[in-house]
Amino acid sequence: MNTLIFFQTAFAGRRLATLGFLWLVMITVAALAAPLIAPFDPLEIDPVGRLAEPGWPNLFGTDHFGRDTFSRAVYGARMTVIIGTGSVAVALLAGGLIGMISAYFTRLGHFLMRCVDVLMAFPALLMALALITLLERSVFNTILVIGIVYATTTARILYGMTLKLRGEVFVDAAVCSGAGHFSILFRHILPNLVSPLLVQASFIFAFAQLQAAALDFLGLGLPPEVPSWGNMLSEERIYVTRAPWLLIYPGMLIVLSVFSMNLVGDALRDSIDPRFKDDIAGV
Amino acid sequence: MALLEVQDLEIAVRTKGKLLPVVQGVSFDVDDNETLGIVGESGCGKSLTALAIMGLLGGTTVRITGGNIRFDGMDLLTLSDGERRSIMGNRMAMIFQEPMTSLNPVYRIGDQIIENIRQHQKMTNVQARDRAVELLSLVRIPNPSERVDSFPHQMSGGQRQRVMIAMALSCDPKLLIADEPTTALDVTVQKEVLDLMADLQTRMGTAIVLISHDLGVISETCDKVAVMYRGRVVEAAATENLFTELAHPYTRGLLNSIPVVDSDVDWLEAIPGRVPTLEEELTGCAFHPRCALVTKLCATSMPQETEYKPGHSVRCHFSGKVAP
Repeated sequence: MNTLIFFQTAFAGRRLATLGFLWLVMITVAALAAPLIAPFDPLEIDPVGRLAEPGWPNLFGTDHFGRDTFSRAVYGARMTVIIGTGSVAVALLAGGLIGMISAYFTRLGHFLMRCVDVLMAFPALLMALALITLLERSVFNTILVIGIVYATTTARILYGMTLKLRGEVFVDAAVCSGAGHFSILFRHILPNLVSPLLVQASFIFAFAQLQAAALDFLGLGLPPEVPSWGNMLSEERIYVTRAPWLLIYPGMLIVLSVFSMNLVGDALRDSIDPRFKDDIAGV
Repeated sequence: MALLEVQDLEIAVRTKGKLLPVVQGVSFDVDDNETLGIVGESGCGKSLTALAIMGLLGGTTVRITGGNIRFDGMDLLTLSDGERRSIMGNRMAMIFQEPMTSLNPVYRIGDQIIENIRQHQKMTNVQARDRAVELLSLVRIPNPSERVDSFPHQMSGGQRQRVMIAMALSCDPKLLIADEPTTALDVTVQKEVLDLMADLQTRMGTAIVLISHDLGVISETCDKVAVMYRGRVVEAAATENLFTELAHPYTRGLLNSIPVVDSDVDWLEAIPGRVPTLEEELTGCAFHPRCALVTKLCATSMPQETEYKPGHSVRCHFSGKVAP
């Protein structure tokens, strides 16, 4: 019930953010029910019906192997959700642990945070590329790499917030009542970090999509047989003049999804941190 | 042997590679059923002394450089983490200065009390909850069986302070350290909180260390008083003696700066100057730049602690020449 009220206040008066949220719900439904929604097998090749224009029965047309673009797009939603949640989980777990532990055990923290600083000095995409060349192309490795890239920023944010919380009197009070390190970190400090973590999660989810699409486009992300929006762009880019719909649909899906996630992230952040509220009023 | 014995406690702060002493040679002891008051201006080392006793000076910048603290025969400075944790919140507890921030904002107050109880005692959740309700009614929170599920932000400052007290008392501690427990509260609530602490002392025989800069509070509640100035105890005596036969000019100054309600004076006396900062090198008595009785001797030699009267020690070259 509390979460319901929270969502109501977060999205009240924000029509765009609400639309964004609905779009994300649609993506999730598509991902969950992909076999029911997709009219064709996304991997089925049809040499006769190559590069068909959008129409019936191929709503989004077909690609250069004659595969149904609409079905591939629906299955691509599945990848979007998997990559997003996977990267968020890796980034929050790794980054959160590093940040919290660094802030709590200051000596170890000095070392860990300097390592994080070094990693942050590389542009996100460059670091992802460097890491992915060491690993094989697979869904899991893509998630891992993107998660590691965004673990650095998460670590930095949580480091600051934990540092602040650590100085709060209620932490001293917990020490005084005999609480151990583990209990202080995870029972007393962590619950106070839930809202920044939630906001961070929504932004990582969005950025992970762009990152994954970029990796796919460069041919270093998901294996080529996996239907993902990034892979679709990458494979069909040579047909941009003959069959532009092959690029327009997946491109549009990526843009819409990332934009929606950013809108939702903004709405969540504003409802948690009211200082930003007036910056983009009504959006 | 007293319950809490602090001997020659030395605490230093590390700044720019130097160790600056902030607490020097502080000694006192507290018995069961006794209340010790520690008074002094801000920055004279009262709170640091309390934090040292509770083992909260874990950082690298502030550290204990000498002396020892014994609680019930155990040396607190050499205890292992585990042993220390089993004493903290159980046999000794602390009440903090800021009731607004001493409770974790994301947990219900009942859960926070229950956590403390179950940390130290074998109890089921239900038993601990009953105990929490009982404690809340002990500290006179109205409607305790409902308030136990309140979040800290749903309570007023005075109520939160009382929740803190309830939590501190949850395991019947033998020693209670209260670091300015009433500073953030208004006068009526202040009185309630102090009455409550006195009441609990008579009931359970708890030893209390009360840190305050309010001499009124000290005179009302404490059996003995230690006056601190710039990291040293300058005068220590039983409360009634301190107020009638005070022997240190600093104590005189503190007493003079209390406004008297029914007198006709327009001008409130103050101690001139301020507490010297740590960086200022001082020879002789730390109080001499502000003292009315200052002589050349004060600027060159540090007065030793002398017994002015039985049970009344003073650190001043001119003890006894101060107008009472």
